[in-house]
Amino acid sequence: MAPSRTTTVKSKHAANKSGIKNSKTSSKSRSSQDSDGVSKSKSKKQQSKGAALGSATGKGQGVKKKRRVYTEKELGIPALNMITPVGVQQPKGKKKGKVFVDDRESMMTILAMVNADKEGQIESKMMKGRQMEEIREARKAEAEKRQEMRKSKLDETKDGLRKKRKRAGAKGEDGDAGAQEALAGTKPLKKRKSVSFA
Amino acid sequence: MRPLTEEETRILFAKLANYTGNSLKNLIAPLDNTPDSDRFVFRLHQSRCYYVRLSLANLATSISRDKLLSLGTCLGKFTKTLKFRLHITALPILAQHARYKVWVKSNGEMPFLYGGHVLKAHVGRWSDDCPEHQGVVVYNLHDTPLGFGVTARSTAEARRLDPTSIAVFRQADCGEFLRDEDTLFS
Repeated sequence: MAPSRTTTVKSKHAANKSGIKNSKTSSKSRSSQDSDGVSKSKSKKQQSKGAALGSATGKGQGVKKKRRVYTEKELGIPALNMITPVGVQQPKGKKKGKVFVDDRESMMTILAMVNADKEGQIESKMMKGRQMEEIREARKAEAEKRQEMRKSKLDETKDGLRKKRKRAGAKGEDGDAGAQEALAGTKPLKKRKSVSFA
Repeated sequence: MRPLTEEETRILFAKLANYTGNSLKNLIAPLDNTPDSDRFVFRLHQSRCYYVRLSLANLATSISRDKLLSLGTCLGKFTKTLKFRLHITALPILAQHARYKVWVKSNGEMPFLYGGHVLKAHVGRWSDDCPEHQGVVVYNLHDTPLGFGVTARSTAEARRLDPTSIAVFRQADCGEFLRDEDTLFS
């Protein structure tokens, strides 16, 4: 149907917001105009045409065929501008509420799983403990060995020194015994100072 | 009062398995071999977990929730973060199925019962091959269970400890029956 040009429009922009004649908004605005008294003549025309059509097609067609109205759930459209946290989102068709474990079989299964888990943990702990103990033992043994070596080295040097001293003593037995003693540090080189009281 | 969910059951068993060995499965074994024999079940009531006979639990359904104070043996409490805290009331059950044990000398009994940890000097005997941080049940020398705790050192390491160092960290002791009298059962 061609747009009627008889309507009185106060402002050009008010009538057709989009500015396109056959766009959806323009048709909407037209229908909204129908409600106010401006385009009465047109609505009358439409009514009369509808009635004519009804009479032409037969009886019962006067009642408009109802279009099925779909709810949002039926369409399965995701709700806009809504953030549903991951934990909150429930899968469809899942039963609400808690699932209790009360039968013996399922409890036994859980128990077996937990026991196996714990057993493994204890075993690994013991293994680790044993390994650590071995390492500690080895380190201790090594430290002892090192201590022993150091001790033997010290003894060796001590013996060496003693031998050297003996040999030196044998060479100049009565020659300079005083010097020998001085070397060993047993006798002071200088004469000791003495104080006498009158 | 309700049965435990799968996760709650797992958490409870994991905690009990810290202290007990494989004999834990005897906890839920039926009392005799008849098909509809009575057995022990776990029930949750006001975040406390009870170990109770099924027949008794069924009878208890006739008592309203707010009027029901306690039933069976209280094992412990579920926290809001879904952890499980064992109470001293669980000691008889733990002692029956204990895997690792520590026997405390008579001079160490009272310090332990007053809430102290078990010192090396107070330990009379140990279970062999006990790892570190393992749940143990503490007994006195007459084999009376006094409480439970967690080992501070493994058995091998504990031998080298000095006498004043802690050997077992206390988790619960029988002294709590008196100390926590007000909060233990309600």
